[in-house]
Amino acid sequence: MSKLNKRSGANKEINYNEVPAAIRRRPYYVVLPGLIILIGILIPFVTAIALSFTNYSFKLPTTKFVFLKNWINMFSSKDFYHALGVTLRYAIYCTGVQMILGTIVAFLLKNDNPFNRVLKVLFTFPLMVAPAIAVLVWQLMTSNSVGVLEKLLNLLGVYNFPWASSNKTAMFTVVLIDTWVNMPFVILLVQAGIQSLPKSPFEAAQVDGASAWFTLKTLTFPLLKPFMYIALLFRLMASLQEFGIIFALTKGGPGNTLMNISLTSYITGFTYQTLGKALPYLLVLWFIVNISAKFIVKRQRKLTMQAAGRE
Amino acid sequence: MARIQLEGVTRRYDRTTAINKLSLDVMDNEFFVLFGPAGAGKTTTLKCIAGSEFPQEGLVKIDGKIVNLVEPSDRNVSMVFENYALYPHLSVYDNIAFPLRSKLYRKSEAEIKAAIDKIAKLMRIDMLYERKPSQLSNGQRQRVAIGRCLVRTPNVFLMDEPLAHLDAKLKHTMRTELKEMQSAFNTTTIYVTHDYMEAMSLADRIAVLDKGEIRQLGTAKEMYYTPASEFVAKLFGEPEINILPGSYSVEDGQGWVSLLDGVRYPVPADVAAALADAPSRELDVGLRGNDIAFSFEKADGWIPGTVYANEPIGNKVIMTVSVAGNHLRLVAPNDTQARMDSTVYIQPNYNNALYFDRASEKFITRHDIEGVLSYHHGSKGKGGNA
Amino acid sequence: MSQTTDFKKAQSAASQRKSLQRLGFIGRNLALICFATFALFPIIWMITCTFKSDAEMYNTVFRFTPTLNNYKEVLVGTDYFKAFFQNLIVAGGAVLVTMIAGVPAAYGLARYNFKNKEDIAFQILSFKFAPEILVILPVFLIFQKIGLYDTYFGLIWVYQLITMPLVIWVVRGYFEDISVEIEQAAQLDGYRWYEIFLKVLLPLVKPGLVASGLLAFIYAWNSFTFPLILSGFKIQTITITSLRYIASDSVHYGQVAVAATVAIIPEIIACLFIQKHLVRGLSFGAVKG
Repeated sequence: MSKLNKRSGANKEINYNEVPAAIRRRPYYVVLPGLIILIGILIPFVTAIALSFTNYSFKLPTTKFVFLKNWINMFSSKDFYHALGVTLRYAIYCTGVQMILGTIVAFLLKNDNPFNRVLKVLFTFPLMVAPAIAVLVWQLMTSNSVGVLEKLLNLLGVYNFPWASSNKTAMFTVVLIDTWVNMPFVILLVQAGIQSLPKSPFEAAQVDGASAWFTLKTLTFPLLKPFMYIALLFRLMASLQEFGIIFALTKGGPGNTLMNISLTSYITGFTYQTLGKALPYLLVLWFIVNISAKFIVKRQRKLTMQAAGRE
Repeated sequence: MARIQLEGVTRRYDRTTAINKLSLDVMDNEFFVLFGPAGAGKTTTLKCIAGSEFPQEGLVKIDGKIVNLVEPSDRNVSMVFENYALYPHLSVYDNIAFPLRSKLYRKSEAEIKAAIDKIAKLMRIDMLYERKPSQLSNGQRQRVAIGRCLVRTPNVFLMDEPLAHLDAKLKHTMRTELKEMQSAFNTTTIYVTHDYMEAMSLADRIAVLDKGEIRQLGTAKEMYYTPASEFVAKLFGEPEINILPGSYSVEDGQGWVSLLDGVRYPVPADVAAALADAPSRELDVGLRGNDIAFSFEKADGWIPGTVYANEPIGNKVIMTVSVAGNHLRLVAPNDTQARMDSTVYIQPNYNNALYFDRASEKFITRHDIEGVLSYHHGSKGKGGNA
Repeated sequence: MSQTTDFKKAQSAASQRKSLQRLGFIGRNLALICFATFALFPIIWMITCTFKSDAEMYNTVFRFTPTLNNYKEVLVGTDYFKAFFQNLIVAGGAVLVTMIAGVPAAYGLARYNFKNKEDIAFQILSFKFAPEILVILPVFLIFQKIGLYDTYFGLIWVYQLITMPLVIWVVRGYFEDISVEIEQAAQLDGYRWYEIFLKVLLPLVKPGLVASGLLAFIYAWNSFTFPLILSGFKIQTITITSLRYIASDSVHYGQVAVAATVAIIPEIIACLFIQKHLVRGLSFGAVKG
């Protein structure tokens, strides 16, 4: 049989042990459309790096290569360090508050009863609200004329609390709104973690007479860590580059109180129409986000492996 | 309805080789059993025939045609998967009907109904039609998987441990059903199992697989009476065969085998002839548990030992006797009363001893090979049940 | 004697534990109610505002004469009405494109082994973490040049950055949960690979498909940065249009509330449908939930 095949295939040898090309290429056919669509968007990203070395502007008719001028300008400007500070503070406040409060609430919801089940569903609602719309709602609530919060504070003897309009309370206000929108995310993830806790180690600890605190410290938290890292990853990445909430609330004001890197580059790029100057800011932001994402993902992987007992 | 051939088939995964230059020739209408321990490459062999795995070397032929490049759906084989591979979103009925609703094997719904009713009754799942696989026990799932496999008549049935999750009683009846069905359907079957009783009772021929290679190919009788190596000998029979180190010597033209620290016995001429030609005088002697007689009374020429363990397994007792530092397992009647450490005298039936080369563990000979292989047993149960 | 004191001691300890438990129960639920107020009050308050007339807005909280005027003002033949439908087209179109291109990709990344598979998968995920403004500024330039600025096509394409990574990662997880042998069984049952995809695999990943699709829709619907920069007068989305209500000179707070409420309601309904799969979706499949 094989002889016959060889003879008939004198002009073209059939290789029976090579996966046919049609099958070999199938994975690529299947993945390609999605990849092309995404890469199409990635091309501008590459041009962004190139443009950061030019004086590109919508106002100027021609574009000139300016080497590192944009970068040097950025690193020597006070605005940059201010923006960097705002970015980091905003990220730390938001992530910190949401992680801590979210974890606490998730633990409060630990018992499975109808009340908690209803609450779990209700708590996810703010997460669905567009951040820009959430800002709208809170603007109404904090308005000194119609706002319900003003009326509440009046009861406590506080009048005309400035909320977003003072540089002393603006940061507090955006963090509050961000927390309102995003804290349910942390609650959900920690909840999922609590639900996935294996039963037997806890029963064993109970039999051994371990104290509640000891169990929490040595069992619950280590097992929950992988989930908390995912929550941390998503929250930190998002709050480092937050744009919508701050822009919708104050456009970075009052003054430059809330000008983080995203907003600074937006204003530089669009309002001042100097895109070349805006891009280095964004590339720095991208760098920070990428580095911290890689770090957290690595830690998370390791913890998941540990929790699964294969280190 | 087809002859299945593998010629030098090799299937490697990243680092491990699942099967290595495997050649098989399964005759049309044969019930062929692939038998071996876990990780021997049995499942991979089936999947190479099915086309789900692509071999890096060698040819797969169905009825003489090379099918390496033929898609699985066009090979007209049907298979029972070890983990059932039922469609979780379909009911039992729809699962079994699935092959008959494909473009290739399309039948009318009335025909499908008739076919399923017939097979479901046989598999005793006709009351489960509306259930989803998740609502079934493992045994029921397995029977649905068998049903889906048998509902059409392909070139070959491939069955990967199809009875592994059934309880003992059901296993026995299903075994009989399968065997009957196979001869009625006139279809080639390749059957994977790690249960030697299943292998022996079902197979026309058995291939013993280990580490991706065939260790022995032959009938159930050959596996039991003339195993090609100690490895094969240990796989067949319960309790596991006793392997005792021994040596061969010739005195005055008579061949003697000595073992167990001073026991020696003369061997018949056919055995002596083979042992004289063996590469070495160092032997391993295989003695099956049911070939060893025992007595608690002192008997002349019998070997003294002490009772080491006594394990009742229902219709018999496996007694372990310690003799000169060796542990011998032998079969005793159910009512045997043996105290631990009490003295017992044993007498092996040396006519049934198997001789292996010590270094290579390969089979050398046994007494009366032709005789034991041609002897007809009353039932298909054979020696394994003894 | 000592027995009775022991008994009394045990009794008092038990009652102490009981009262402690009750205290814990009350404290826990009190804290939960506090948080529930924080989470839900803004939404409830806003919805009540939609029924208030401008005059009552200033001096009432919950007691007022309800009116539907605000709804009429906002919804009937206005920009908002237009934006609502344009938003629907953009977000719906984005999810549709994602489903068609992304689900096969998710399958490929789950099932096949090929070179750089994990890198490609991670690259896709990393789009989620790329600063939106960074991507959008250069895209803005190019879209203006090639005429995609302020078009449905342009917006739907850019929205893929939001929807595609989400759907690919979530659905990939669902595909990975399906045993390969189910596909192999279907092949032996006489089905071609595309038939298997449609008849066996899609029904099995349907929950993930629906959940990630709805979630992707919500994200696209909610997007603020993309339409802010990439749409002009022709196409408007609800987030942008709503904000215009508060920026205008004469603020009709009731109308602002309506704009926000109408934007939120579809999302909350969608959220109720996908509760079970929410965690998996929100964490891009990282948590099985």
